Amino acid sequence: MIIDARELRKTFTTKSRKGTQTVEAVKEVSLQVDKGQIYGVLGPNGAGKTTTIRMLATLITPDSGTATVAGHNLLKEPGLVRRSLGYVSQAGGVDENVSPRAQITFGARIYGVADVENAVESVLKRLDLVEFADRPARTLSGGQKRRVAIGLGLVHSPPLLFLDEPTTGLDPQNRANLWDRIAELREQGTSVLLSTHYLEEADALCDRLAIVDHGVIVAEGTASELKRQIQGDVISLRLDDLGRGAEVLAPYAKETRVDDDLLRVYVDDGEHTLPSLLRTLEERQLQIKSIAMTSATLDDVFLAKTGRSLRDTGAES
Amino acid sequence: MIRDTWLFFGYEMRALMRNPVWPLLGLMQPVLYLLLFAPLFAGQAFNGDMGKALDVFAPGMLVMTALFSSFTAGYGTIMELKSGVLERLAVSPASRPSILLGRMLRDTVMLLVQSAVFLVLGFVLGMRIGVVALLLMLLLMVATGLMAAGAAYGLALATKDENAMGSIMQFVMLPLMLLSGALLPMAYGPAWLEKVAWFTPFYHPTEAGRALFAGDFGDFNVLLGFVIMLGLAALTISWSVRGLRRLAG
Repeated sequence: MIIDARELRKTFTTKSRKGTQTVEAVKEVSLQVDKGQIYGVLGPNGAGKTTTIRMLATLITPDSGTATVAGHNLLKEPGLVRRSLGYVSQAGGVDENVSPRAQITFGARIYGVADVENAVESVLKRLDLVEFADRPARTLSGGQKRRVAIGLGLVHSPPLLFLDEPTTGLDPQNRANLWDRIAELREQGTSVLLSTHYLEEADALCDRLAIVDHGVIVAEGTASELKRQIQGDVISLRLDDLGRGAEVLAPYAKETRVDDDLLRVYVDDGEHTLPSLLRTLEERQLQIKSIAMTSATLDDVFLAKTGRSLRDTGAES
Repeated sequence: MIRDTWLFFGYEMRALMRNPVWPLLGLMQPVLYLLLFAPLFAGQAFNGDMGKALDVFAPGMLVMTALFSSFTAGYGTIMELKSGVLERLAVSPASRPSILLGRMLRDTVMLLVQSAVFLVLGFVLGMRIGVVALLLMLLLMVATGLMAAGAAYGLALATKDENAMGSIMQFVMLPLMLLSGALLPMAYGPAWLEKVAWFTPFYHPTEAGRALFAGDFGDFNVLLGFVIMLGLAALTISWSVRGLRRLAG
């Protein structure tokens, strides 16, 4: 196991004119990550994802709890933990005025890499950075800078890489490109702990994931395991009267939920339930504005566990 | 720590050399004072004797150079905070003090280059100083520069905001600079103003510098200037390192 964290907690206290405010950023987080796994921490902004990663990366000391990271005790051996990990923050950590090659070379020297030149060339090639390796980083695109940031985290070949919201702010093409790069890390045996608020990212990349909300893990498992908890299909409807719709469709459903202007009807077998459901709506003279049927998604899991959609939290954009 | 400090120093110097425009512009401030203000000072206070005027004017200008050159370094730190560079370095195995000490060494080298240019120009204009006094003056500038750099990095890490930092610096620096006597010796003013100035930090290196330029090594101001600047440098550097540790947990 590359990470074994038990009951981590962190509270922040801020002082202002209004008085002292206490924020429980992480109320209780326990997670276990196997070697070679891509483990996702999925949740909306403010859920405690970054605080969890910052604690595991030795940047913040937890108020309580224990953790072993890459075989080292987080609290007693922070120096050894730091030697064993690569860390890519949300901001990236790329120096705008310096070229990728110079920055990555310096990174290799800090970590005492034996063959600096080879290590740098290898990272530049792996992340397709060779072409612009000698340009100042400020001249690179957002996607290219993100790859430089990952290169900075990888140059010393750490067994574990932390990626805090690695694709936030990237366009879909660059995001997909970065997903491929991250997936390649697993093939090379690097374990990855990544935080994200993108459902698709968690679904596409992560071997296992923890869904976090308000500082606690509300669900944990593989994406399929989590979705299986929400068995069957989801029929999403826009009706002229959502409340009445939920009432009349209740007999067909395991559960119904009104989510803004959308009625979600959770059924075991959507294909066979849909005709009866449409008939009932017609008989009750409820007007359908739109209808869609999907298999359960991670958003449905989040909705089922927290009572609200991850998309509604503003996390998805 | 020494290895890491040397690594950071090398990296920072290479980055500086890649973009030498800003340090070159930084050189201009003391040069402009020397060319455009010193003649006024000489005309007003020394009947146009530039050599004598520079013996009084140059130490103040050198102290001012040390302060301003190092204080501005804090802005770069705020950029590094915002871009996540410092956070990345804090997660590396590098010794945390060395992250700042490497930068301070770079600032010191820049300061010495600026001083060298100033001194060469000063010599051309008639300034005279002995070798020992010159070396002691440069040492005093290094101490003053380190104190200012420590304060600038500490303030940057505490405020994390360039606007807040700019406002605080302006609020604090203007009265302290005026009371340092760097532009005009405080002895030219009323006695009460000089007494107030005595309790401000930059007055002492300025007075120490003037005593060194006069070749008066036994002057108590020399010792006082070094003690105060070295003491304050130790305080501000440890404050800035604590700021980095706070950032890094």
